Amino acid sequence: MKKLRVVLVDDEIMIRQGFRQLFDWEAHDCEVVGEAADGMEAAAQIDSLDPDIVIMDINIPIMNGLKVIQLSRIKHPDTAFIIVSGYDDFSYCREALRLQITDYILKPVDYEEFGVCIDNLKIALFQRKSTEETAEPEERVINSIVRYMQNHLAEEISLSVLAEEFHFSTQYISQLFKNEIGVNFLAYLTNIRMEKAKKLLLSTSLSIAEVSEQSGYSDYRVFTKVFKKSEGITPSQYRRDFLEK
Amino acid sequence: MLRMEIALFIVLAFIAYIYFSAEKKHTPLHRTFSVLLVVTLLHLIFDGITVYTVNHLETVPKLLNDTVHRLFIGTMMLIFFLFYQYIAILVEEETGKPRRLDPGARVYLVASELGDILLPVHYAVTPDGNYSDGIHVIFCYISVAFYFLLGTGLLLANWKSIQKKKKMAIIIATLIELIVTTLQGFNPTWLISGMGITLITLAFYLILENPDILRAELTEQKMSMLYLKSQVNPHFLYNTLDTIRIQAQLNGDKKVAGLLMKLADFFRLSVKVNCPMVALDDETQLLEAYMELMCYRYPELNYRYDVDPEFGGVQVPNFILQPIVENSLLHGLKNRGYRGEIAVSAQKTEEGNLEICVCDTGSGFADGKKAEVDNMLLNYSKQEQKLTGNSIGILNVQKRIKLMCGREYGLWYTENENGGVTAHILLPMEEEK
Repeated sequence: MKKLRVVLVDDEIMIRQGFRQLFDWEAHDCEVVGEAADGMEAAAQIDSLDPDIVIMDINIPIMNGLKVIQLSRIKHPDTAFIIVSGYDDFSYCREALRLQITDYILKPVDYEEFGVCIDNLKIALFQRKSTEETAEPEERVINSIVRYMQNHLAEEISLSVLAEEFHFSTQYISQLFKNEIGVNFLAYLTNIRMEKAKKLLLSTSLSIAEVSEQSGYSDYRVFTKVFKKSEGITPSQYRRDFLEK
Repeated sequence: MLRMEIALFIVLAFIAYIYFSAEKKHTPLHRTFSVLLVVTLLHLIFDGITVYTVNHLETVPKLLNDTVHRLFIGTMMLIFFLFYQYIAILVEEETGKPRRLDPGARVYLVASELGDILLPVHYAVTPDGNYSDGIHVIFCYISVAFYFLLGTGLLLANWKSIQKKKKMAIIIATLIELIVTTLQGFNPTWLISGMGITLITLAFYLILENPDILRAELTEQKMSMLYLKSQVNPHFLYNTLDTIRIQAQLNGDKKVAGLLMKLADFFRLSVKVNCPMVALDDETQLLEAYMELMCYRYPELNYRYDVDPEFGGVQVPNFILQPIVENSLLHGLKNRGYRGEIAVSAQKTEEGNLEICVCDTGSGFADGKKAEVDNMLLNYSKQEQKLTGNSIGILNVQKRIKLMCGREYGLWYTENENGGVTAHILLPMEEEK
């Protein structure tokens, strides 16, 4: 898999340095190719480097981060923007959603959680690609595996279950995920379970325990914990926030 | 007529009592009003005495009568000066311009007081009653007119820059001054100067010097100071904490970095929600950030949170769990060297309410302490609003629950069988509409 190219935008050098050195870009198949400290510089860097991912602070000098995204969107439709902001403010979130940003994370940034964010991005890229490929007569193995997973979400899914179902070794399947999607098996599984849970939370009135059950977690406590880690809020907060706004 | 002076004196004495016993700022304006109150009270005494003596010219010695009259008129002119002075300070406070008329007013005051002492007093005897007249009293009217002109002049010259309420006070005072003086001038036997003076003082008191208004201003000032002190820009705080955290992590200190992260979390959550009611989830998040820090500081401290996520959306008064837990820590687990556990649980009661329990394995209540706490929580409304002390936290929680949810809800404590106490919080099970 080709490495994803990243540009870091933040007016504080310490924050950029933290991102650069403390997050394991290598392990996530990424490399930092550029940095910018203000809006103008950011726009220029994005234009010249055409990165896959831009880590963007909102409150930066000369031109704010949202403006930069707005400007760059047209020329770089495939670039993923991840907003990193100290502002837990709904008006910013709304604006950011309109600009189709990939993720919105709050400072202070936990670099472990940031890895989940990159994983989700890769999964989204993979899913977009595979829906474009469905016309092909011969389906690729990875696609049938993820389809199987999608259809059996409420059940127990593990590498060994998949190995039995598809007659491959667990190592092979594990490697397949790494090569084709760029994330490990568990990260992928958690991602689609969370997506399912989110869908259920917003489109049904099932209780949290039932949502947890249907997304493959027999213990709602575990589910709540995982959900909170991935979304930053608890399932009931998630449901409330969306229904309110 | 003597009865009126006595009544006025009692009213004014009562007001002076309230005024002097209340807390207030010491500004020139309030000092002037204090002097005015005292002089007016003295004046009313002399007024009362002269009303008697002037009508008993035959029995009262002339010297005594004259002296009392001079005192009566002297204090009256001083009062008119003070009225002017009060208005002048008021205008100065509003406009910031210096009081340029003051020297003139003072020179006039000294001249009129000298005249009061030196000029002869003359009494008019009529069938309707006696009164003083002649040069002495004419001086008096001139004084009123002089200060009246100064006062209204100040008012009109600064009409636009004076606050409406203060303008009203000045207008009412000068109008009373004008009307009462005119009436007195045409009906010399009425002897209503004391009434006029009392009314003007009352007008100032009611509109500008009322202790309630002054106290409100004082509290507002204190509050805004507190507000400013606590208002460090939160973004400055998180950003700085974050910078320190990253530096720590770059230096390879993961532990410090983790702690700073949690501290930033705690700050973010505690300033984020400034509405009176929040979801239980928000409360939990704050509590979790707090407990994680405490558990780090005291490694043998444990924290268990077991609440059905279905309750997460229940609306609860803001900031009720953390004070309760802090109380359990400080009064229960601290005595055990912070060895033990705090468990938070919640259940639905038979009546369909929400009961949250904060259970600790601390030292429990000392002898008699339980009764004391029970009593305090039961009679929460009678407790003094202290700003310090051990129980301020839980008392405050109790008050807010009662106020925002209703009197049937609230906080109480029970003792656990195996040591420690449990705080029970009963709340209505209401989700946001």
